[in-house]
Amino acid sequence: MPPSTDLLQGTLDLLILQTLAPGPMHGWAVAQRIQQVSRHVLQIGQGSLYPALHRLEYKGWIRSGWGASENNRRARFYSLTRAGKRRLETELETWDRLSSAIALVLGREVQA
Amino acid sequence: MMAEFLARLRFLFSRRRPSDLDEELQFHVEESTRANLAAGMNPGEARRTAIVEFGGVERAREQCHEQRPGWWLGTVGQDVRYALRGFRRNPVFTLAALATLTLGIGATTAVFSVVDRILFRPLPYAHADRLVSVGLTAPIVPEEFMLGGSYYVWRDNQKPFEAFTSETGVSSCDLTEHNPAHLSCADVEASFLPTLGVLPLLGRNFLPEEDRPHGPKVALVSYGLWQSHYARDPSIVNRLIDIDGNLTRVIGVLPKDFEMPTVEAADIVLPQALDEAEQRKADPGRVMYAFARLKPGIDAQQAQAMLEPVFNYSLSLAPPQFRKEVHLRVRSIRDREVHDMRMVAWILLGAVLAVLLIACANVASLLMARSAARQRELAVRSVLGASRRRLIRQTLTETLVLSLAGASLGCALAEILLRVFIAIAPEDVPLLAKASLDPRIVLFTILLSLACGALFGIAPAMEKPRMAALAARFGSGAHAWLRRCLVVGQIAASIVLLTGAALLLRSFRNLEEQKMGMETQGVLAANISLPRYRYTTQQKQMDFFLRAESALEHLPGVSAVAMTNWLPPGETHEEQIFNNIAVAGKPRPTSGTGGMVAWRRITPEYFSILKIPIVRGQGFTQEQRSSSEHYLILSSLLAARLFGGEDPIGQHMRLVPPDGPWFMVLGVAADVRNAGLAGAEMPEFYQLRRNIADDWNPWEVMMVKTALPPAAVEPWIRARIGQIDPTLPVEIVTLSEDVSRLADRPRFEASLLAFFALGGLAMAIIGLYGVISFVATQRTHEIGVRMALGASRGDILRLITVEGGRLIATGAVLGLCAAFALTRLLGSLLFQVGAHDPASFVAVALLLAIVALAATLIPARAAMKVQPVEALRYE
Repeated sequence: MPPSTDLLQGTLDLLILQTLAPGPMHGWAVAQRIQQVSRHVLQIGQGSLYPALHRLEYKGWIRSGWGASENNRRARFYSLTRAGKRRLETELETWDRLSSAIALVLGREVQA
Repeated sequence: MMAEFLARLRFLFSRRRPSDLDEELQFHVEESTRANLAAGMNPGEARRTAIVEFGGVERAREQCHEQRPGWWLGTVGQDVRYALRGFRRNPVFTLAALATLTLGIGATTAVFSVVDRILFRPLPYAHADRLVSVGLTAPIVPEEFMLGGSYYVWRDNQKPFEAFTSETGVSSCDLTEHNPAHLSCADVEASFLPTLGVLPLLGRNFLPEEDRPHGPKVALVSYGLWQSHYARDPSIVNRLIDIDGNLTRVIGVLPKDFEMPTVEAADIVLPQALDEAEQRKADPGRVMYAFARLKPGIDAQQAQAMLEPVFNYSLSLAPPQFRKEVHLRVRSIRDREVHDMRMVAWILLGAVLAVLLIACANVASLLMARSAARQRELAVRSVLGASRRRLIRQTLTETLVLSLAGASLGCALAEILLRVFIAIAPEDVPLLAKASLDPRIVLFTILLSLACGALFGIAPAMEKPRMAALAARFGSGAHAWLRRCLVVGQIAASIVLLTGAALLLRSFRNLEEQKMGMETQGVLAANISLPRYRYTTQQKQMDFFLRAESALEHLPGVSAVAMTNWLPPGETHEEQIFNNIAVAGKPRPTSGTGGMVAWRRITPEYFSILKIPIVRGQGFTQEQRSSSEHYLILSSLLAARLFGGEDPIGQHMRLVPPDGPWFMVLGVAADVRNAGLAGAEMPEFYQLRRNIADDWNPWEVMMVKTALPPAAVEPWIRARIGQIDPTLPVEIVTLSEDVSRLADRPRFEASLLAFFALGGLAMAIIGLYGVISFVATQRTHEIGVRMALGASRGDILRLITVEGGRLIATGAVLGLCAAFALTRLLGSLLFQVGAHDPASFVAVALLLAIVALAATLIPARAAMKVQPVEALRYE
């Protein structure tokens, strides 16, 4: 198992929102997807995944409902709400600003 | 923002079913297993890996739960329910803790309320911290006073004060309208109320021209009188009322909280209307009480130094032999008010603080014992995934529930105690009657108990539950050392309290067993005070009393009647300076005052009713009442001081005034306690009250000797007096009641301290019992081993008792040392008992040793009965 990288405070919410942007997904799939896309750098343990999903739901950025999984098991699916989509946009903007600022400080070349 | 708020609201009300979450987590594990299977693991391995990867289910569940807005509200209810269940399972612990808290909080709140009233209450004057009482002190009067001959010089020449004012005391007066009443009137200077910063509620203050002899008659009425007598009618201002037969105009109503700085009750305040010019010339002039407002930046001590010049002027007026005994005093009004209560108040405060400390130690020790016994439970919960925070919150909830329950019971107890205090308080503690539970103090004690509970409740929960606790062992001895210290402290504090109480009780018994020098049984005293406006002359006053005397003499069952102006053994009587007594043919002493001599005017039966023996010469006879000669009877003490070994009978003496008549000494009476129960006996002389108008005053104590029960004779006396004057109030007491009232104050002090001491002792014993039985249970296994190895039951008993004995001995030694140092403070309250009275110390130590050993023996006996086999199987 590759060493897991500690996530920056608050970036987990952003990752989940981004992952859910294409369409509804259940919790396990969210974790798998983040892991795959990040090429196994980011591993989201259930200990942080489910509390984060619940937190986002309580904040009204995602909603949940029961549906059937790929192999027809009853599973809880999460999807972005309209407030969630707006939130994702602002979070992305913030992220861009933040990451380019950090890159400047660290003296790395800023990507176009 | 709005959407978020609505979402929160929605989730607050619609609770997500816990099974949903379980199903979701379950799904996660299954998907994980499937993925592992796909990766080529066998089914068992796949599931195991999935579960291991997932980690603590309980923890995940709790964390998800905690995301919910307001989630903790639900857990508070859960914690409270859990706490209550725990308390019900453990009634002994709960009752002991509740009783301790109740007693601690109740006693503290009640005493703080009383002491606050006495020591710290705000005085009803503007900037009261700058008000002082100013005057001279002399052995004659305990409080500082001024004399008309000096007052005006002081007022005009003083430097340290912004304002300087006086009053001339409170005396009885009568309101003689359609609804007559017997009241008290205070006479004050016009500047008195402005100096104190008192503004009338209605109307105005006195004007300077009203404070002159023959000025307009005006009065201010108290709020109480306005309410009770005039139904708070605002048109009272400018109305004419009849005070002692004088038509007086009411110019205002005093504020509700007004009181004289001497704390005497005053229903009506009048201008003192002294003739200033006459007083300036007078020697010594009218007795007055002076009060002043300090200039900013000057304190009472500086003021005293700055008054030195005017004080020296007053000294120069005093007769040279008195000068050494006269001093200057400037002190705050509060000091004047509480002068002799201060000591009692501080002792009460100290006692109750000791009780509070014992109570806190007890609660702490109980909570520690409980948490030690619960380590296993906490460890199990922790392993099952409950977070540290959750466990701490649970413990905190428990102690809070306990503290709040104790606080509410404590408040109820405080209310009861306060009523008891007021009921048993002697009349000379005027401030006490107005004491009530102060919400600030109630809040303070509740917070204190919460803090105490929180501190000792959380401390054990803070440390991580040890996995060792999961083994069947009964808790650990981690807190045992601290608990032992607490018990030693409790025992020491109880010893201090008990010693104080024992000393006061002994002193009180000494007072009660005092030899009075007279017989108080079967004597009724009827106090009669004639209104001066109706009995205007001494002749009328004498006529009334002589008629009353013969009326009472003819009552059935009455064997004798006598009259006097004051009854012993109280402190109130007439007094004069010893060195002012002149004996015919002897030089007058020239230095000092020689102290005071008490005297009274009596009728002949006085000695026979009180069974005071005449040790030399004769008593007064009925015939002498109608003679024009002046006769005197001396007390043994006075006779010895004046004449030494000589025969006093037939000697002639002159009293005050120095140019008065010569009195002939008829006889010498035995000494009687005449300066209060605890006071040293004073030399005394008796004058005969003859049937001459000059000998009479408007008040008299009529003494009635009867063999019948007092309750039967009392209405007859009232009826007979009523036949002569139906409107006259008559106050009747038995002489024994009167005497026992003098012991009210020591009785009050002794019973309060005894109450606290016993309460403290009870709590200390509970604490000791708790510790010993805890230690015994902890060592059950060890006891079993010892017995299996051949220890006898006696050995086991000794083992446990020695453990307790060591605690008792340490506590007792510490306590006795502390008591030895502290009881000195009680010195001024003690009567014929030394502050280090060995008998009291020994008795207290014995009492404590016996009770404490008994508390140790109960758990020790239980330990002794342990069956070795059971004890060994225990683990």
